[in-house]
Amino acid sequence: MYQQQGHAKPMLSDEDLAYTVLADLKRVASEYTTAVTESSCQQVRQLFTNLLNSTLQLQGQLYKAMEQNNMYSAASPALRQEIQKQLQSNQQTEQKTEQFLQQFGFGQPAFRSPQYQYQQQPMQYQQNGQQQMQGGSQTFM
Amino acid sequence: MQALTAKELEYLVDSLSNEDLLIKQNAVMAASASNPAIKQLGANMIQTHLQHTQMLLQSIGQHQQFAPTQPQSH
Repeated sequence: MYQQQGHAKPMLSDEDLAYTVLADLKRVASEYTTAVTESSCQQVRQLFTNLLNSTLQLQGQLYKAMEQNNMYSAASPALRQEIQKQLQSNQQTEQKTEQFLQQFGFGQPAFRSPQYQYQQQPMQYQQNGQQQMQGGSQTFM
Repeated sequence: MQALTAKELEYLVDSLSNEDLLIKQNAVMAASASNPAIKQLGANMIQTHLQHTQMLLQSIGQHQQFAPTQPQSH
């Protein structure tokens, strides 16, 4: 796994090198998030927001490169019955929350709008997801 | 533009340390990795982190003139 250079110096593998950078990008993104939420000056808040977006892009690029080069295996897929269980359970929670809201006169259930018709139109969801992924252009300057 | 809070200055300075470390880590990765894609990505990321560093330094510099010279009561 470890490569040797001219002077037989022990070296980190490509996986270890990339993983070290990836782990730090995750840590720094998290720190930028905290910095955004704790900024008082609008310009400083905007700066940290831009740096957060830029850092997330780098993290995403490095992750993709590692995945494509078999350096990172994503977690195994969630089982369909587990998805169904979570969906049912959380739909029940959402209904209870709607009842809670109605007690306060916030009657119009926002979750009934067409974009939340998850079960009938799974394809539409995929398309939305892809659009979001492509939306991240380099605009941090 | 307003005066930086002590907390904001801390975050800006901590962020400079973070970016500095990422520049060096990417330099090591770009120099040592054998996989060309990882090597190239490391080299590219150095440039972005250098930009981040400049933006952070610029922000500290821009706020200098708004900073009080005496401790404030509130």
